[in-house]
Amino acid sequence: MSDRKLPRLLQTPAVLLLLVWMLIPLGMTLYFSFIRYVLNSLRRPEWTTPSFSNWRGFGNYEFVLNSKDFLFAIQNSLFIVCSILFLTVILGVLIAVLINKTFPGQGIVRVLLISPFFVMPAVNAVLWINMILDPVLGLQGIAVGGINELIDGLKDAPLVGWFFGMWPELQPISFRATQTSAYAVIIMVTWQWTPFAVLIFMTSLQSEDQQQKEAAVLDGANTWSQFRFLTLPHLARPIAIVVMIQAIFHLSLYAEIEIVSRGNGNKNLPYLIGEFANNNIGAASATGIFAVILANIVAIFLLRMIGKTLME
Amino acid sequence: MGRIVLKNVTKTFGETQVIPPLDLTIEDGEFAVFVGPSGCGKSTLLRMIAGLEDLTSGAIEIEGEDATEVPPAKRGLAMVFQSYALYPHMSVRKNIGFPLRMAKMEQSEIDERVETAAKSLNLMDYLDRKPADLSGGQRQRVAIGRAIVREPEAFLFDEPLSNLDAALRVGMRLEIGELHERLKTTMVYVTHDQVEAMTMANKIVVLRAGVIEQVGSPLELYHKPRNVFVAGFIGSPKMNIFSGPEAEKLDAATIGIRPEHIGVSMTDGLWKGRVGVAEHLGSDTFIHVHDTGLADMITVRITGDIAVKHGDTIYLTPQPDQIHKFDDEGLRN
Ligand SMILES: Nc1ncnc2c1ncn2[C@@H]1O[C@H](COP(=O)(O)OP(=O)(O)OP(=O)(O)O)[C@@H](O)[C@H]1O
Ligand SMILES: [Mg+2]
Repeated sequence: MSDRKLPRLLQTPAVLLLLVWMLIPLGMTLYFSFIRYVLNSLRRPEWTTPSFSNWRGFGNYEFVLNSKDFLFAIQNSLFIVCSILFLTVILGVLIAVLINKTFPGQGIVRVLLISPFFVMPAVNAVLWINMILDPVLGLQGIAVGGINELIDGLKDAPLVGWFFGMWPELQPISFRATQTSAYAVIIMVTWQWTPFAVLIFMTSLQSEDQQQKEAAVLDGANTWSQFRFLTLPHLARPIAIVVMIQAIFHLSLYAEIEIVSRGNGNKNLPYLIGEFANNNIGAASATGIFAVILANIVAIFLLRMIGKTLME
Repeated sequence: MGRIVLKNVTKTFGETQVIPPLDLTIEDGEFAVFVGPSGCGKSTLLRMIAGLEDLTSGAIEIEGEDATEVPPAKRGLAMVFQSYALYPHMSVRKNIGFPLRMAKMEQSEIDERVETAAKSLNLMDYLDRKPADLSGGQRQRVAIGRAIVREPEAFLFDEPLSNLDAALRVGMRLEIGELHERLKTTMVYVTHDQVEAMTMANKIVVLRAGVIEQVGSPLELYHKPRNVFVAGFIGSPKMNIFSGPEAEKLDAATIGIRPEHIGVSMTDGLWKGRVGVAEHLGSDTFIHVHDTGLADMITVRITGDIAVKHGDTIYLTPQPDQIHKFDDEGLRN
């Protein structure tokens, strides 16, 4: 036996397990996506058991493509994911650079910054939508009310009263509405995932070469140039990692969407799958396959873009 | 032009004073080398000149103007670091051009200057590579290129060759020497390698624990070391230094004699000893002699080869005019 064979042999069970782990769900999804399979049908009871005799070809895919929410769900998925990525990366880099300096109370600040990441998504969504974003009872409502009262009071003040008299009354935004529910999801997920970005960027910043910085100082680079030409390229790889991981996670957002508006004005592919899966497993599976394809396209596209812009 | 004057400078890190008050003048066009054992403050001193460390007190003048409060970039100095400190994401071309780009120079002018520098440093074939794809010597040349494009008033080198292998080090030593001859710019060079110091410097500054032990030309330091420390530090193999009756005979607390100033005979001489290890280099032989009653070991250097075996009895005779005498404070007398 050559010295390669034994290690290979010993690895086999793990590799097989991984393959099975991946392939069985994917295979089932593919299989269901090509047959008629519903949970409940009085008219066609034979469709309620999966079988090759119910073969439908690309019928499920056609059905999904033609359903009214499909295009919207894809657009909305991309909108939510890209917005969250954009915000978390920018906030993450800014905060990481800021707290990378030594200052008193650094340890506590870092722990506090990381803590949102340990809140469960559903809890996060409930907290934000009810306690912070609620237009009446949440912080938003209270803040808007407070500002309105303050301005009301100033309207009667001598000298400057006329100025404040011209201000309109501020209206709180209802984040459960069709037009705004996606924003609510973006805000709460950004809040939750920025710490993740900060954590990764911070570790990377600590490995930055200080002599390069000193060389740049002597070369006449100001703080901005140092950031642009040294720190940002240094962060390119961690940014790529953060983007990749988050893209995968946020393409499958569900709890937040459900809790904020039950999909009203704000669906993504997983939510659509959920809706189909109430009865039509075939269509849900076809949507699932579309979701896999979308995830791959997004991942490849994002990585290319980051590679180009940051690595020069 | 590139005259650097340190006046009473000190440096304290927290509680520890790394540089006690120190005065030093480096003349324009001079090649000054700071040598000293590890941790003696060479890098700190160089970084203070560069402006990367603040002075605790004292003043620095560059070209006759007070530069103590001038930010590093405005001092007109270029520094080459031991770790090269190249920018890893930029090509060689961009690395070399970076200081010019920061100075907002025209792109065409930048290209021209980068090409000139690259030509003089044999880097033309590597301009589009990243630093990671270069050898140590090439990286060091890029770092030097980045320094020379700025046409600085003075170059600062912090142990630039210590990451290179021995053969390359000799080559780069010559190249830097050549560069100095060509540019005639002031250079301040830090090393703990005394061969580098002896071969490159016009002026050597020997430091110990932040204190200047002696300043002088290489030969001055070799022939007239001001104290025991300098005597032991400059020269290879090290000077034999010992005290005892032999020293008292010459009215000194300590005497020193360099290995190359001791004559050897198998039959008679002033001191008798037993041969330990003999290192045959071909051109020279270093013999380590034990049991002389002077010091644990006396090193002797003779030109050419000599047939001695471990354990042989050997007689040594110092050249009387080459004996260095030191008083009980270790100072030359
Ligand atoms: N930032 C710092 N904080 C505290 N002490 C420091 C700092 N930098 C240097 N030192 C101390 O100052 C002393 C001189 O350091 P320096 O780096 O100048 O030595 P060096 O002569 O360059 O040594 P080497 O040959 O090993 O490079 C050392 O004892 C070192 O521990
Ligand atoms: Mg040093």
